[in-house]
Amino acid sequence: MTEQKTSINRRSFLKSSALAGGGLMLSFTWLSAFKLPGEAGKPDVPNWIEVNGYIKITADNVIKILNPNPEFGQNVMTSLPMIVAEELDADWQKVVVEMGPHDSVKLGPQFTGGSNSVRMYWKPLREAGAAARTMLMQAAADTWKVPAEELTTNAGLIVHPKSMKSGTYGEFAAKAAVIPVPKEIKLKDPVKFKVVRSSQKNVEGLKIVSGKPLFGLDYKQEGMLIAMIVHPPAFGMKLKSFDASEALTMAGIKDVFLQKLYPDGFEQGGFDTRSFNDMLVIVGKSTWQVMQARKKLKAQWEPAGDIKDIIGGRGGKKEVIVPGELESTDAQHKKMQEFASKPAQQLRRDGDPETAFKNAAQIIERTYNAPFLAHNCLEPINFFAHVTAEKALVAGPLQAPGWSEPTLAKLLNLPADKIEIQMTRMGGGFGRRAYGHYLYEAAIISQKLNAPVKLMYTREDDMTYGIYRPMYTAIYRAALDANKNLVAFHVKGGGIPEHPIHANRFPAGAVDNYLAEGWQIPSNITIGAFRAPRSNFNAAAEQSFLDELAEAMGKDPIELRLELLQRAKEKPVGKNNEYDADRYAGILKLVKEKSGWNKAENKKYSRGIAAYFCHNSYAAHVVDLTMKNGQPYVERVFSAVDCGIVVNPDAATNMVQGAVVDGIGNAFYGKLTHKDGAAEQTNFHNYRIIRMNEAPKKVEVHFVQNNIDPTGLGEPPFPPVFGAVANALYRAYGKRLYEQPYGPQIPQQTMPDVKRKPVKSKLILNKRRAQ
Amino acid sequence: MITLNINTKTYNVDVDPNTPLLWVLRDELDLVGTKYGCGVAQCGACVVHLNGEAVRSCVTKVSRAEGQKVVTIEGLAEKHDHPLQVAWQEVDVPQCGYCQSGQIMAAAVLLRENKNPTDADIDAAMSGNICRCGTYLRIRSAIHAAAELQRKTT
Amino acid sequence: MSKSTSRHFIPKKTITVLAIILSFVSFMSFASKDATMKKTPNQKSISKDSLESVQAFMKVYDVLMHPRCMNCHPKGDVPLQGDDSHLHTMLPRRGKNGDGIYAMKCKNCHQPENAPGLHTPPGNPKWALPPADMKMVFEGKSPRELALQIMNFNKNGHKNKEKLLEHARDTLVKAGWNMGEGRVAPPLPYDEFVKAWDTWIEKGGYAPKAK
Repeated sequence: MTEQKTSINRRSFLKSSALAGGGLMLSFTWLSAFKLPGEAGKPDVPNWIEVNGYIKITADNVIKILNPNPEFGQNVMTSLPMIVAEELDADWQKVVVEMGPHDSVKLGPQFTGGSNSVRMYWKPLREAGAAARTMLMQAAADTWKVPAEELTTNAGLIVHPKSMKSGTYGEFAAKAAVIPVPKEIKLKDPVKFKVVRSSQKNVEGLKIVSGKPLFGLDYKQEGMLIAMIVHPPAFGMKLKSFDASEALTMAGIKDVFLQKLYPDGFEQGGFDTRSFNDMLVIVGKSTWQVMQARKKLKAQWEPAGDIKDIIGGRGGKKEVIVPGELESTDAQHKKMQEFASKPAQQLRRDGDPETAFKNAAQIIERTYNAPFLAHNCLEPINFFAHVTAEKALVAGPLQAPGWSEPTLAKLLNLPADKIEIQMTRMGGGFGRRAYGHYLYEAAIISQKLNAPVKLMYTREDDMTYGIYRPMYTAIYRAALDANKNLVAFHVKGGGIPEHPIHANRFPAGAVDNYLAEGWQIPSNITIGAFRAPRSNFNAAAEQSFLDELAEAMGKDPIELRLELLQRAKEKPVGKNNEYDADRYAGILKLVKEKSGWNKAENKKYSRGIAAYFCHNSYAAHVVDLTMKNGQPYVERVFSAVDCGIVVNPDAATNMVQGAVVDGIGNAFYGKLTHKDGAAEQTNFHNYRIIRMNEAPKKVEVHFVQNNIDPTGLGEPPFPPVFGAVANALYRAYGKRLYEQPYGPQIPQQTMPDVKRKPVKSKLILNKRRAQ
Repeated sequence: MITLNINTKTYNVDVDPNTPLLWVLRDELDLVGTKYGCGVAQCGACVVHLNGEAVRSCVTKVSRAEGQKVVTIEGLAEKHDHPLQVAWQEVDVPQCGYCQSGQIMAAAVLLRENKNPTDADIDAAMSGNICRCGTYLRIRSAIHAAAELQRKTT
Repeated sequence: MSKSTSRHFIPKKTITVLAIILSFVSFMSFASKDATMKKTPNQKSISKDSLESVQAFMKVYDVLMHPRCMNCHPKGDVPLQGDDSHLHTMLPRRGKNGDGIYAMKCKNCHQPENAPGLHTPPGNPKWALPPADMKMVFEGKSPRELALQIMNFNKNGHKNKEKLLEHARDTLVKAGWNMGEGRVAPPLPYDEFVKAWDTWIEKGGYAPKAK
């Protein structure tokens, strides 16, 4: 989007110009240099001097920093350029930030996921900023004929104190551009950071609150058609025949056709995902017309049977048989119970767990279950594509353009350099948009129609054809000796279609005898990464189990964890323990202090604690539960997080607060079930999302202060919320909960003076629990 | 032809009168600040003002808006400096930002009818708007901040 | 933790049978005392009959307690939703006039007519809850309680007999039989409901005897 090739973005910037001065970091100088469409022969942005892939500085000292990574709400549009500005020593308030184009040569991996954005760009961006600063200083030194060592910089100004000479970066930008990039660069001492570690507002704040076109769904081009795909009503079904005669007579409808997404035998990339390959496509002029006509499309469906997929990617090429069964949640549960008692794959083994369990004075065993979850990004899946014989322009919400490009090139039979992927701001991602199938769908449809097309999923499409968080189960077992010491720990986890186990995580390393096992059941229900994959289940199960264990051992739950961590630090068991015991203990101590864990005044709350390590970071929460209108309400949360250096503290706090709210919502309500292959939840009327009235009054976030290079933040605070909520609910009700979501097991929601019949979901769940 | 008054401007649109206002705004008039989230009045991303009320444009037929006064996020304040828009930036509410125009349009009705809302008022007024990123705490703070701004400036 | 808070009504058939067997006349305040009530012009002279009246009311009761009717006559200040009468998602409040509060006014979502599609808001120009000072609660009411309430001028929205008869013809009441795609109608066809309603009132507006 650097070059502002499309009308929509050009317009958005022009609109912004009227708003600038209201606090946005856009420069008038730069904006006034923008050319309107139609003024041919003039470049959009004159006189840009490319210092390197990340920074552009004009002669009149406008500094533009490109954000390389897709933005889905994790604040990289602001925080990544801040890292550059820090080392560049630019005046942050005058920096212009722009979304970079997809250009993996200049801009690196460009992948949003795995809480990796800041972590993976931290060093390159610092180096880029520092290199630019060094080159600018060298240019000034050459001009002024003074040694570069005598120069300093101050917020975009180069100063030579001895001669009192000074000049802006812009003055030396042209000269700096021809200076070779220095081989060695000195980076700042983190204690001297000025921009990084200071809270800066979202650079797109004004655009967001004034409704500017930022999102994929807002993207438009002249002559653009709207396309929708009629998916089979259930996983395991495929199209048998269709009759479009009525739909085709309806206003605005251009075409209805059947189109294969992947050709037979096509090797999919690891993150493409298997889709419903036969796309029944309806295309029209406007969204509503297509929505209406699609209802008149008569389609017959039939069981698809087993399907063979060929999947490539990092693991090498492999054939996968996707079973054709029409799956139902109850049957899936039964199957999981069956598998749980069978031998499983051993993932880690320390000491002699079998003997330790045999000789134990007490064995505690608990089973935890969790359902599929739908991402439900508020911006439904969509993508724009304009594919011609020579080239392709695609634009929309996408977490990993670099992963999708090779498949797109193969499908379109175009070289990668003829494909332009524009990354729009995403209306949420949570892992869902790492899977590029919808981008291919849009492109194939555009290619077929030889027209610009926006593919749109309705909310129902988005929810019922998701790439879900898998369905999980795990059995946790602990062996205690006669003195109530923990002598062995065993976790055996399974799932549809993958198991959740991270074998080398806490409490591995802290227990002499340890066994981790996993098993999985293949399925045709598509799954993928969902905010902290696997961890979001483990932190619920394991952290609930540790809480129960602490109680059985007569210990404070924080103390038990600290004792285990002490053991893991002093005399670690086994190899490859993923976590740093000191940092893990650090967040527990911090949250203990900040929450007033043992203070009498907090006894009025039902308190739950949980902590977890994932994505290289550590997070702990104390959840304070009260009753509101007869229902459990998480009123306060204290959070402690160690993610190393925090680039933008207030934005990071926002992220943790959001993770806590998201965690509470999913812990209480998140659930997607299937009946004969069809998702039973289709929209927000029966897929419950946490709302304002259920959000805590306070989420107090504390970061561990250290100078460790930043690690992940988007995901780590999310998983332990589940465990903390479960443990708080136990304190409130005196009964442990083992099934997610917890909400349906809690006595019926009532408003004051309201007594009602139980809702259906409760009956179903109780029935299942009774089995 | 349907004549619409949106953000004090007059538009003539040639659409099926049963078309939801949302799709007229987005597809015909390029006013894309109003968002599609669910299409069934569950999420609030599509809230606009119809004669001052926070209607869900995804279920409001354009015929209902004919000859009425419609305000969208783009026209909430000419210079985008409605106390809520100022407070939203000051508190740095958004994460992904997709729901926020609907949130602000809903909150604007609350602030008009209640100059000093409590947390309970905010909960009651705003529980129709889903924020999938979970920025509810900041939305609450920003509404309080906007109420204060509004009291100071009026 | 699965505390059962369910409030199961006595099966309706049983109630009907009981009501008939036990239908010693229970006089309504309105039926017995309101001698000033005017007859509607086209009203035929019908003699009162407690048995017939109560029989008719039991049909009316099945309709009024059906989610399509009861959901907007909740016990609390939040309407109910769906065939299981769960609390309306997003918890809209009654407000003083019954039309909601702030950004959560009924008509923000409930249009003058049904919105097309599944799970979309049903519509009617009058869509609202009863006002705060006249809640006209159906939820949780026994047949006797509900009959007494409807016949009580001070609890029925100040409706006299004429107004009550008219009420069954109200467009919002009638809308209960046309609530959009996928929604189950009350157990009695609308015409039969009106007939039962009229019979109940014309035959004396009797309430079933308390058990």
